[in-house]
Amino acid sequence: MFAITFHHLIVGIASGTGILMGICALLAWLGNFVSNLDDFQQSFDKTSLLSSILCFICMPLAIFSGTFATSDPGGSAILYNKFVFSGLAIGFTASFIAGRVRFGEKIWNDFKLSTLQMICASGAMFWIIITGSIGGKISIGESVMDIMPFWPDFTSTIVLPWWISMVMLVFGIASIFVALKLGPTVNKISD
Amino acid sequence: MANPGGEVDSNRDFTCGGSCHGDPSLSATSDAVIEVRTANTAYAGTMTEVEVSISGMALSKNRLLGVFLLGSINGNSDTPSDYDWSIIQDPNGGSSNYVLISVPESGEITINWILLAPSEVGPQSIYVSIHHGSDSNPDNRAFLGTTEGYPIQIDPIPDDYPTIADNWVALEERIAGDDSPLQFSTVNTDVLSVEWRLAGEIESHTAEVVGAENEWQVQIPASFGDTRIEYRITASQGEFNNQMPWLSMDTVPPYFDGNLFGARLQSISSALIIIGFVLTMHMILSPRQKKDELDQILEVETSEEVSEPIPIEEIPDIEPEVENDDTEEYNSRLIHSEDNPGWLWDPVESEWVADPNNPPGGDS
Repeated sequence: MFAITFHHLIVGIASGTGILMGICALLAWLGNFVSNLDDFQQSFDKTSLLSSILCFICMPLAIFSGTFATSDPGGSAILYNKFVFSGLAIGFTASFIAGRVRFGEKIWNDFKLSTLQMICASGAMFWIIITGSIGGKISIGESVMDIMPFWPDFTSTIVLPWWISMVMLVFGIASIFVALKLGPTVNKISD
Repeated sequence: MANPGGEVDSNRDFTCGGSCHGDPSLSATSDAVIEVRTANTAYAGTMTEVEVSISGMALSKNRLLGVFLLGSINGNSDTPSDYDWSIIQDPNGGSSNYVLISVPESGEITINWILLAPSEVGPQSIYVSIHHGSDSNPDNRAFLGTTEGYPIQIDPIPDDYPTIADNWVALEERIAGDDSPLQFSTVNTDVLSVEWRLAGEIESHTAEVVGAENEWQVQIPASFGDTRIEYRITASQGEFNNQMPWLSMDTVPPYFDGNLFGARLQSISSALIIIGFVLTMHMILSPRQKKDELDQILEVETSEEVSEPIPIEEIPDIEPEVENDDTEEYNSRLIHSEDNPGWLWDPVESEWVADPNNPPGGDS
């Protein structure tokens, strides 16, 4: 009982902050093209950073509470999809935070890096919306995605064999290690 | 009070309905009309069909109706299996004597059970009992209805009578896309033929049958989505054909083989792959790399360290020599002109240049 209530609470925070992160990052990126938004770029940057950090903290809690809120987590395709999509959302959110921390608040002045930041934030927002919509479909039978002219079939999924997941895991850790330890030092962007 | 959401399909005695609704304050007589159609006789151990039509009842909002098929109405131990009947298939595709049915808006429903008759010869009876709710039902009463017994005489099976084997179990469902052949076991059968059709279709198709000695493989095409396939078996011995009732099987989605561990592992690995990819992109797109390419300080410093400094006295001959050669060559091509004193004509550049030895406007 408590797990369900807690799950609803934490999912609300995670999805809210995730969408705020996505919108603010998009506006900060648009500041490179729209002069009116340029003045607010710093505000959008700070808001997106704070909301992404809160989202990054809440998403694992949402996953764990969701695990306890259902009788057979991972036992059906639709719940399995929620796990996978949550992982994608966490990956994009963490990447967004990493970019912002490594390059500083002037990252938006570099077009290529700011585009990468915008893609990360949008990707996180997209997967958070999808995951939340699946949850809404399970619990109340409807979601905001019902207004879309199509609804992807989330009742089926791709279950990777465990060894492929392990290979991906090792490859991911290795690429992170190479990028952080063996690659060239990355400095904050200055004026 | 009974469960207003209904009870799931199962093997249940008549007392299941009676114990929940036996108190007159909790029950009332149903106004449903129940008709049972079945053969009056059946050979022992052969397949027979019981068709039940129910209509005219008031239903609750969820339109659920519970239907019992019984061997008697004793109250307990009264399921057909207690009287040596075997249920091959119930109206929902399973093998239960109690089924929960959702009645369509028309308020009328026809369902059927396929039974394997008892092996012992003698008179038998079949009863049908129903219970349901009502839309206007302030006392939450259950409405009950029970038919009289429909007699079926079980006759001895003729010698060499072709039929389905006792141990054969009808397939309730098949996985979507599965076109593997269905297995049938028979007795006294030389030839087996199977017709199939989609539920709702009138026209049937003949399935391909392979096998011999009462073991058969029947090829029915794969089904997809929410499809129900009906099939009818005809077992033949010589010129005698035993055509059995229509059976049906549902199409179900493939069984899900994922688990929590796999879901977590796939989730974490997906996240790490994305993080690794983006960090690598940071490395590639970082402005520091471009700065390195443009910054030549390091290269110059390195070249200074490598080359030996040359004493200044040893150099002078080289550069002035080249310069002198150039000057001499340049001066030799200049042409004096009597008309323009103080000026020399350069035919290569096609221009007048001042004569250094006799500048324009000079005294000489």
